[in-house]
Amino acid sequence: MKPKIFIIGAVVLLLLVVGFMIKDLFIDSPGNVNPYAFDLNSLRKGDTSQCMYSEDQQIKPAGSEIHGISTDASGNIYISGKDTLEKLDSTGKVAWIKAYPGNAECIHVDEKGNIFLGMEDHIELLDANGTKKAAWNSPSAEAVLTSIATSGKDVFVADAGNKLVYRYDYLGNIELKIGQKDPSTGVPGFIIPSPYFDLAMDPDGSLWVANTGRHELEKYTREGKLISSWGKASMEVKGFCGCCNPSHFAIFPGGFVTAEKAIERVKIYDMKGNFVCLVALPESFEEGTKGLDLAIGAQNAILVLDPVKNLVRKFIPKKKES
Amino acid sequence: MQDRRSFINLFVRGSFLTGLAFLSGALILRKKEGEFCGLDFGCNRCDKSESCNLPEASLYRETVWQLDPAKCIQCGRCATSCVMTPSAVKCTHVYAMCGYCDLCGGYLKPDTKNISTAAENQLCPTNAIKRKFVEEPFFEYEIDEALCIGCGKCVKGCSAFGNGSLQLQVRHNRCQNCNQCSIARVCPSDAYSRVPASKPYLLKGIEQDSTTAPKINLGEKGV
Repeated sequence: MKPKIFIIGAVVLLLLVVGFMIKDLFIDSPGNVNPYAFDLNSLRKGDTSQCMYSEDQQIKPAGSEIHGISTDASGNIYISGKDTLEKLDSTGKVAWIKAYPGNAECIHVDEKGNIFLGMEDHIELLDANGTKKAAWNSPSAEAVLTSIATSGKDVFVADAGNKLVYRYDYLGNIELKIGQKDPSTGVPGFIIPSPYFDLAMDPDGSLWVANTGRHELEKYTREGKLISSWGKASMEVKGFCGCCNPSHFAIFPGGFVTAEKAIERVKIYDMKGNFVCLVALPESFEEGTKGLDLAIGAQNAILVLDPVKNLVRKFIPKKKES
Repeated sequence: MQDRRSFINLFVRGSFLTGLAFLSGALILRKKEGEFCGLDFGCNRCDKSESCNLPEASLYRETVWQLDPAKCIQCGRCATSCVMTPSAVKCTHVYAMCGYCDLCGGYLKPDTKNISTAAENQLCPTNAIKRKFVEEPFFEYEIDEALCIGCGKCVKGCSAFGNGSLQLQVRHNRCQNCNQCSIARVCPSDAYSRVPASKPYLLKGIEQDSTTAPKINLGEKGV
């Protein structure tokens, strides 16, 4: 009997050792956490109590690669992208779709309905029906045109490649270069680490430019004089995160709408730069989404162009609970 | 009967042990003659790897381990799974891609309240990144390779919030070039592969020729 017990004991011991080896090699125990794991998911969880908007509509554009969005005075929506240009009415119904060869990175529609397209390194001007009227000369070989805005007879164009804003006339002549570093006038110069460089017109006729590397919005006169600026670098919701944000912004009555990359979020600030609320939380977007262009639609709805999901997403204020 | 049983037991055990000894001796002798490498020794531990004609040895001589930054998910295992302590994997800074940001996602913890070099603000667990003011608002970040343990936290922060100029690479002044890389075995994204020794780095964002090593502190041995 004794040898039998010994053999059984040895077999059990052997099985225990093999079992322990299998567990050690192939099964991660909960306590065996990698001390160097860096979890960024917590940053992507926004505070829902600060979100005052909800998604009302998703518009699927005809183009498969979309980059820019703009609206006209009637609330019509214009979407530019690769090889396609389209116009939708304020409800998202298609007005027209045109094949437009090239990569239109940004789009702007002026008060008269003229359409400006930023074709990477030059501007193309179209009439209200999307028929090409003119193609302006490229400002330089390094130009990366990322945003367009108009005011009266001026056309302002942001160039991320040269880190400058150009003031054009309607014939395509550059009248002024804005944003060159000049300590004597207090112009700090634009710091643009990535090709996101947005601008928009203030209702008072001055120009707002996103100096993304400084995490600021800067206000300039049409002569290029710096008036004011606001913005703070921070991962917190009140600041702008990452290397270079806000990547896009738009002005609507009473404030700014901003969009960020890295922590994908859309926010509202008042005209003094005080944080008001969130429009869209980071979890609303795919991780790594960049290029959330913004426009203000009919009834001040916020239109967010989501290039990863290939959608135009409409956000409206949440209805207050009675 | 008892004596015969003991004799048989002893005979069987003796035969088994003798056979085992012959087998071991044969394998060792065969390896010495260079005909067959039957033991799972890494070439890095063999003094004949330079003259050996086995395919494993030529692979060892002509290629080195490297990780592809495009596949790397910065899981942290490069720091814990390498046979070297600290790991042979180090953070490499591709200056050509760097935005020289003030709010550097690779240098600062995400919940940092103030942007400063205070220890509590630094993401790196070993203080291996040095921040230097260049000009307003630019800062340069340099990796102290002697302190870097290859955890990849800075790489993840830079990829998430910046241009991805911080990248993990196997540094060949420390790598033992094991036949089976212990990090490659556990890498969840299969980022490790053998690359030609003449082009030992796989950095994103810069063109390299065979003589170019990343601009980093090469440590005591150099490359």
